[in-house]
Amino acid sequence: MSDPRATGSARYAEDFELPGMLHARIVRSLFPHARVVRVDASAVPESCIVLTPDDVRDLSPYGCQIEDQNVLAERARHVGDPVAAVAAPTPEQAEEAVPLVEIDYEQLPAVFDAVEAAQPGAPLLHETAAAGGAAAYFAMRPQPGTNICHRFRIRHGDVDAGFAEADAIVERMYRIAGAQHAHMEPHACVAHWDGNRLELWTGTQTPFSMRDDLATIFGIPPEAIRIVSLPMGGSFGAKTFVRTEAIAAALARKAQRPVKLVLPRSEEWQTLNRHPATVTVKLGARADGTLVASQTTCYADTGAYADCGPGVAQKMGFAAPGPYRIPNVRVDAYCVYTNLAPNGAFRGYGQMQSTWARERALDTLAEQLGLDPVELRLRNIVRDGDVYCTGETLHDVRFAECLEAAAAAVRWSEGRRGKGIALVMKGMQTPSRAAIAIERDGDDYVLRCATTEMGQGAKRALSLEAARLLGVDVARIRFPDPDTSLVPYDTRTTSSRSTYMMSRALAEAVRDPRGYGEIRNEGGLDPDTGQGIASTHWHQGAAAADVEVDEETGKVTVTHLHTTTYAGRVVNRLGAELQTEGSMIMGLGTALFEEVAFEDGQVINANLSDYATPSFADVPTRFTYELIEEDGADVHGLGETALPPVPPAVGNAVASLGIEVDELPLKPETVLAAMKVRV
Amino acid sequence: MHEPEWLAPASLEEALALKAERTDATVVAGGTFVGILVNQHLLAPTAFLSLGGIRGLRFVAEHEGELRLGALATHRAVELSPLVREKWPALARAFSLVASPRVRNRATVGGVLGDADYASDPPSMFVALGARVVVQSRHGAREIPAEELIVGYYETSLAPDELIVEVIVPGGPHRAAYRKFRTRSHEDRPSVGVAACARDGGLRVVVGAVAGRPQYFPELCTGEPASIAQAYAEAIDPIGDISGSSEYRRRVIAVEVRRALEEIAA
Amino acid sequence: MKLRVRINGADHELEARTDESILDVVRRELGLLSVRETCGIGVCGACTVLLDGEPVSGCLLLAPLADGREITTVEGLGGDDPVQQAFSDAHAFQCGYCTPGMILTAKRLLEETPQLTEDDVRAAMSGNLCRCGSYVKIVEAVLQAANA
Ligand SMILES: Cc1cc2nc3c(=O)[nH]c(=O)nc-3n(C[C@H](O)[C@H](O)[C@H](O)COP(=O)(O)OP(=O)(O)OC[C@H]3O[C@@H](n4cnc5c(N)ncnc54)[C@H](O)[C@@H]3O)c2cc1C
Ligand code: FES
Ligand code: FES
Repeated sequence: MSDPRATGSARYAEDFELPGMLHARIVRSLFPHARVVRVDASAVPESCIVLTPDDVRDLSPYGCQIEDQNVLAERARHVGDPVAAVAAPTPEQAEEAVPLVEIDYEQLPAVFDAVEAAQPGAPLLHETAAAGGAAAYFAMRPQPGTNICHRFRIRHGDVDAGFAEADAIVERMYRIAGAQHAHMEPHACVAHWDGNRLELWTGTQTPFSMRDDLATIFGIPPEAIRIVSLPMGGSFGAKTFVRTEAIAAALARKAQRPVKLVLPRSEEWQTLNRHPATVTVKLGARADGTLVASQTTCYADTGAYADCGPGVAQKMGFAAPGPYRIPNVRVDAYCVYTNLAPNGAFRGYGQMQSTWARERALDTLAEQLGLDPVELRLRNIVRDGDVYCTGETLHDVRFAECLEAAAAAVRWSEGRRGKGIALVMKGMQTPSRAAIAIERDGDDYVLRCATTEMGQGAKRALSLEAARLLGVDVARIRFPDPDTSLVPYDTRTTSSRSTYMMSRALAEAVRDPRGYGEIRNEGGLDPDTGQGIASTHWHQGAAAADVEVDEETGKVTVTHLHTTTYAGRVVNRLGAELQTEGSMIMGLGTALFEEVAFEDGQVINANLSDYATPSFADVPTRFTYELIEEDGADVHGLGETALPPVPPAVGNAVASLGIEVDELPLKPETVLAAMKVRV
Repeated sequence: MHEPEWLAPASLEEALALKAERTDATVVAGGTFVGILVNQHLLAPTAFLSLGGIRGLRFVAEHEGELRLGALATHRAVELSPLVREKWPALARAFSLVASPRVRNRATVGGVLGDADYASDPPSMFVALGARVVVQSRHGAREIPAEELIVGYYETSLAPDELIVEVIVPGGPHRAAYRKFRTRSHEDRPSVGVAACARDGGLRVVVGAVAGRPQYFPELCTGEPASIAQAYAEAIDPIGDISGSSEYRRRVIAVEVRRALEEIAA
Repeated sequence: MKLRVRINGADHELEARTDESILDVVRRELGLLSVRETCGIGVCGACTVLLDGEPVSGCLLLAPLADGREITTVEGLGGDDPVQQAFSDAHAFQCGYCTPGMILTAKRLLEETPQLTEDDVRAAMSGNLCRCGSYVKIVEAVLQAANA
């Protein structure tokens, strides 16, 4: 018999139902920045429940890193900000009720660009820079009186002295457009109150963060909340933290009935996108290519609410210098509020943006020095035991191997016109904790852990690993959907850490007589100096691309795309392959055409026709990759590693033809414009 | 919400009678265009007039050297027809480049003309091939040159009581090409579509997806490929949208028109 | 309206509105949940059903257009269909959300063109999107089914 996914019997969060449930819709702001002066729901039929700001006044603000968001906005900060909600017996009735809720606004000045928003005098989104939320795992550095909600710095060596020594200096500004996750299953949840206990079934990568945030919002103990994370039809970072769940829960509280909320496709773009960013990189090197100084300034546009933007900006910052020995490093990364829809976790988590900037700058530097880009990188590449600019020592370092393999894959040595290469050094969430419990049930083993399934194959990987460690057939391992009332606490299924952390916790659990295993990775960075431990474990990879450019239209065709990633010990071969292929394809979309387009703060391509994602025919005819395996090594997460190096590999390939593009995506129009200034 | 009436005539006569009486009804052929509007709640008509039950409008046939396509022939039928592939290959190609097989299995010849969507492929090809559109009302039929059917964004020159029943494409020796330029995914609609046809010493060049209607300038269709292309680029005032700005499209028109002409000259 | 339609081999008389899609009808009336809406505008193919054997977008097909015709969803293939088997064997999915539409499209493709090349598969299936990016393995699965 075929897999449930092939027979049509697979079920997702979207399919969950409870008897008597109502269906919800969100009423959203039409303006990017406006005070809500009146909400009039008198035209809505009696059969509908309407949630207005008055109903949620007793609820606390929330936010996974900064508590800056209310369940409903009394001051809307982006087009699409939820200002009211309705629940009705059928989805159609709920939809019809939305336009019947009348809202009066008083418009306020708005700002749509992070660099502008960070300047003094820009319209302020949040009057007081709020303090860190419960789930912030690092110290926050909000800049009071500005829209900067977090600032992260690395100070290592003396960059001014470094640049003074340099024979060549490159300084350029790079821009990266926002993107939409476009997971095929929309956000979907069902909320239900049993007295003072809240039960919530939802597709989420972060069941425990969800539980803790909802506890804050409703002022109840976390134990009074049960979150069941159902399988997801894709997420890529979108189904993290509180999205629609608080509104569903507040509606259910008012209705005294279960409430289901499924987001209409167009509202996905108003709910969460990837951070647009502006990254300025300055690199200095001696004539022989030795890097002497690196300076990076990142502006991550987090939109109207911080969400996990501070973490994204911090990672954008600490990954910016990359896997190179550089004696003098300076990084300033800013997480900035603007009146765009919130931006949050997205496969690559900030590191795609700074990787694009750095790897493009390196090629420009190589050009200026008259060096081969691979040579330049190899001359500076970090090796085992090197100390990174954060002060941590790097272990199990395979960057050179990845780079050389990727270069060989595109026959670099046979001529490099039309070819490009890039490296990624991607951190994993640190500090974090993972725990798992193994229960016996007759002949079977039941894994109790919070790792969620969104298609990445984590359940399969962990089941295989459990079977191996327990010495039993995998058919005897059961892995129910994570339920916070049954599984031990876990940070979250993000940053490609599940397989890595969980497989180690699993090994502990197998050894433990009670069947309990817990792993912590300790560390963290000082936000003012960037010193400490950024990541106990780094994901390492390289991409290489071969391209053709239509010189008359600027259209780029990738004829060969390759990645090499360090996989360590591979637990689930097929899963690792699929994750790598998926990351590469998503990277191509980012490289070539994916872009959330705005006009006056409003998304103008909020559908899957105007927002194009890669199709079969967009996969290059030569599409190759290799996973470097090492028996006995750690299990490396591979969920994201192959994404960030793809755009710069493509960008560098285009640059090898004399076309320097600093902006993503490499739309034909952008490429053509860059050709006019060709050297 | 009130449920729209479903009018399903079994013959053309009945359909034309209903078309005249029920001016409130939305015509449905393959339903791919109407389906989007209804699904997205952009259209809530009081009635649908479905043409699907009319037999005899699905033909793809040759008659006295001309190609005759019934209004209800699907894109897929046109694209796969051995007749069209052999004698009007550029037309088969233009149809094959529309969306996916899934959409082409439903979308009809009448629909792609009748919806008058600017970001379409086949209409420009029909214009370049000198096709005539047969439209009919209770009072009789008339033929209009394809270039006179679509008059603006989502707007045709059909009278309220008329339906498209057939498209006639002249036969005989000709050289034609269709080029679809997409700026993003392979699944995109065209950013610029160029159709060109040389026949009996005459040339017709048509640019689609750049304005409210296919752009055809008979007076500019003489000269070298590059100069015709340049003249088209200057004559057209392209729209700007998500698949290309106005300025960019102008550049692409100059390139793609020239390439289409080179293709048919080769 | 009353809709008479043969679905997965059985005749049904279903309650449907004239302005709803067949996607909504088969989900609601028959619980055929493999047919899913992602884009709602014909782009992605998550809602693919076979209408008299031809793939169409369920989200665009107004219910009355299915009257008197035959609809197949992936549930109707039984589970042991060679295409389903090939997808399982090649592990041609991640989240699996796109998979039913992929299988139905591949099914028809294989009937039409038994001798397939990789390029044929990519061209014919390009209108079915997979955001997880399982394309490479899907092509493998279809070729595998072709050779089965
Ligand atoms: C995902 C997707 C991608 C697409 N991509 C492309 C593309 O790349 N290129 C392209 O060219 N097109 C594209 N299309 C558009 C597609 O070609 C049209 O939707 C289709 O041709 C419409 O045909 P239909 O028979 O389904 O029309 P219907 O939806 O049935 O009808 C649309 C309208 O046309 C009119 N009409 C239809 N038949 C007649 C008639 N006989 N007489 C008078 N009026 C009539 C009516 O006003 C009717 O309301 C795409 C569509 C989709 C869904
Ligand atoms: S949901 Fe129908 S094609 Fe996407
Ligand atoms: S497997 Fe997730 S969308 Fe295809």
